[in-house]
Amino acid sequence: MSTRRRVVITGIGIISGHGVGREDVWRNACNGMACTAPITDMELGTSPVTIAAQARDFVVDDFVERRLARRADRVTHFALAAAQLATADAGLTISADGRDTGIILGTGTGGNHVRDENYQTMIERGVDRISPFAIPYSMCNHPPAEVAMLLGLRGPTMAMVTACAAGTDAIGTATAIIRRGDADVMLSGGTDAMITPLWIAGFDAMRVLSHHQNDPATAPRPFDSSRDGFVIGEGAAILVLEEREHAVRRGASILCEVAGYGASADAHHITDPDPSGRSQARAMRAAIADAGIPAHEIDYVNAHGGASRPGDPSEIAAIRAALGEEHAARTAVSATKSMHGHCMGATGAIEGAFTALAVANGIIPPTINLTELDPECVGVDHVIGQARTTTLRAAMSSNNGLGGHNAAIVLLPWGGE
Amino acid sequence: MTPRPLNARVVITGIGLVSPLGIGKAEVWEAARQGRSGAGPVTLFDASAHGAQIAFEVTGFDPLTFIDKRAARRMDRSSQLAVAAAGLAIEDAGLVIGADAERIGAVISTGNGGNATYEEAHHTLLTRGPERISPVALPMIICNMAAGHVSMTYGLQGPVSCILTACASSLHAIGEAADMIRRGAADVMLAGGSEAAVTPYAMGALDASRAMSHRNDDPTGASRPFDLNRDGFVLGEAGAVLVLERMDLALARNAPIIAEMSGYGATSDAHHITEPHPEGSEQARAMTRALASGQIDASTVDHVNAHATSTVAGDASEVHGIITALGGDHAASVAVSATKSMHGHCLGATGALEAALTTLAITHQMVPPTINLTDLDPACEGVDHVRTARAHRIRTALCSGFGFGGHNAVIALEAVTA
Repeated sequence: MSTRRRVVITGIGIISGHGVGREDVWRNACNGMACTAPITDMELGTSPVTIAAQARDFVVDDFVERRLARRADRVTHFALAAAQLATADAGLTISADGRDTGIILGTGTGGNHVRDENYQTMIERGVDRISPFAIPYSMCNHPPAEVAMLLGLRGPTMAMVTACAAGTDAIGTATAIIRRGDADVMLSGGTDAMITPLWIAGFDAMRVLSHHQNDPATAPRPFDSSRDGFVIGEGAAILVLEEREHAVRRGASILCEVAGYGASADAHHITDPDPSGRSQARAMRAAIADAGIPAHEIDYVNAHGGASRPGDPSEIAAIRAALGEEHAARTAVSATKSMHGHCMGATGAIEGAFTALAVANGIIPPTINLTELDPECVGVDHVIGQARTTTLRAAMSSNNGLGGHNAAIVLLPWGGE
Repeated sequence: MTPRPLNARVVITGIGLVSPLGIGKAEVWEAARQGRSGAGPVTLFDASAHGAQIAFEVTGFDPLTFIDKRAARRMDRSSQLAVAAAGLAIEDAGLVIGADAERIGAVISTGNGGNATYEEAHHTLLTRGPERISPVALPMIICNMAAGHVSMTYGLQGPVSCILTACASSLHAIGEAADMIRRGAADVMLAGGSEAAVTPYAMGALDASRAMSHRNDDPTGASRPFDLNRDGFVLGEAGAVLVLERMDLALARNAPIIAEMSGYGATSDAHHITEPHPEGSEQARAMTRALASGQIDASTVDHVNAHATSTVAGDASEVHGIITALGGDHAASVAVSATKSMHGHCLGATGALEAALTTLAITHQMVPPTINLTDLDPACEGVDHVRTARAHRIRTALCSGFGFGGHNAVIALEAVTA
């Protein structure tokens, strides 16, 4: 154990409905700002759902050169921007050959806009009119590949696709890559831009989206008795993970340590979670064990909290099982999806970033729209409506994806040791 | 360096293949040994308006042999191929999944997920409106669902994920899965990939990237890696899954140990979105890192299953990379084969299919051929190209995969000596 390489977070780049850049986003999250609003810039036809949590403040030209901005997908724009924000935040200069630095980004479905436009072109104008960029710019691995090209990263580079757990799995896997010595620095996180007519229709057909059409800001409502599904969000978060000595040597400002990662599968149902939360609890326990701390030191859990009818209770059951009833009752829990929506493959990264900032700043961002706690979601200390200032010994971020993927990471404050 | 203890060594104990060369490892190896081609005109849709009209399809695949009817209806062909291949791999390994299911996981990759379902759903949206989209469409499309279905079908409750690096995907899957075992996150991992992209839009879009062969009048001669007259890759479809297992546990259950999964190297070109770096320098470094991570001496590499997709730029830079990594003298004696000449480019499944053939080459101490290699391109000289199957001593073999986006992955496999 003593010889294991340790991994710390030294920078965060983030884009969501809360804004652009760590400072704006964190301030707005701590102020409990709701991001859900009517979608105004898209033709949705007869779609019954017309609300989302869009990244409205994002201006692509601030981060991406014009030709690439025009051709590449919004999912890649987010990644390129978040990577630049993250490396700037970390004060990181990429080494000359870039061989000690890699990137792993989660995504749900890659470049939807590029794929959908080209499919429509084929239907309307013929197969020979498809763009040469249709495949390269819609691949799920395009965002990390394009970042690697922009910054000259020549270490391990890949995309992680585990639906809504992808951002968490990406951070965990990047940590493993640094620990085993295949890189000293990894950019890791996730990006998604799934607010499109096809995905809105596809999710709504599954009956998982909120229909708070008339009062968008009151949705989604994790853990609330009247929750009716999630709101699609979009954005990206990229964390700079660094081997501890590497960070200390260059005098980096260290936010916290990524101490543990655990993953498991439900093997239960393609869309519904295992109601017992048994496998989710296993991922949490594995992350806590990997961190080498007792479960009762987890003072905060940034929950998946997708505001789904079956999902929220099973997650609370998992937290209670993993931490023990007595400690769970004292553990602060918040679902920041209540504010920034469900950002799919980016969500685990955005929430991982919030968990890191909570540990670093001693502030827990709240769950908003939680007015009437569902009796099936009791047993933890919900942080409702307003941010809470406190000292955290350890914090966990947990996510679950369609397909039965569960992932959790444990972050520890940096004491300068 | 001290040798790895048995509980940090990972072995391959099972192979499951559903491929253009047949179903099951015996059928596939026999076809590869004979140098057969699985190519033909596209039959899965009407490709008459397409530039590329040929493909390596999986023929004779009945999903209901492997999957119950109701479940099969809710799976895209890409998931069906993965579930079938995983079932064959589990059977081949004699693996019984019971009380230890929490220690068994999967990394099943893909290039593009449920293509056929995507195209159907989008067509429905455009022609009949959002309310007509099927509730099962979205879960059938997403890239992680093959892994999800493998987990659900066989009850795997360990870590389950999908790593995506275009055409290198399933080699990253094997490499990361082996690391999960080494770091104690699982005892057994199913690792591989699946792809079913012989569909109107996916094939049309791949062709638009100008990387595909248009030798439509000669399907079996179209995929010709290293040949002077190559003109691009030919699309294939497949499901390919390996069972990776911690060596001490495999020995304890008397599992059939086929080869050792010893090393893994992953790098990135950071050069161009579709073109490889002409000197293959980062590809070479992936090979070097694979050898170093497995503590393997480069002089023991006797065989390389090359990525070699039959594109003009890619094949030449790859040979460059092999020479850089192994040294000119040794590279000249290394038996290199590009089995894509026989099974085509199966995108996200191709690395695992080639890793399986590399494993079988070690088992049989025989190198499968590169077919259609009639006029060796001078730019691809410098290695021992194998044109018909040949008995060969193989101590260590490398299997390489390189993807659009500049992703490079190489795994090193070793013969297991008692």
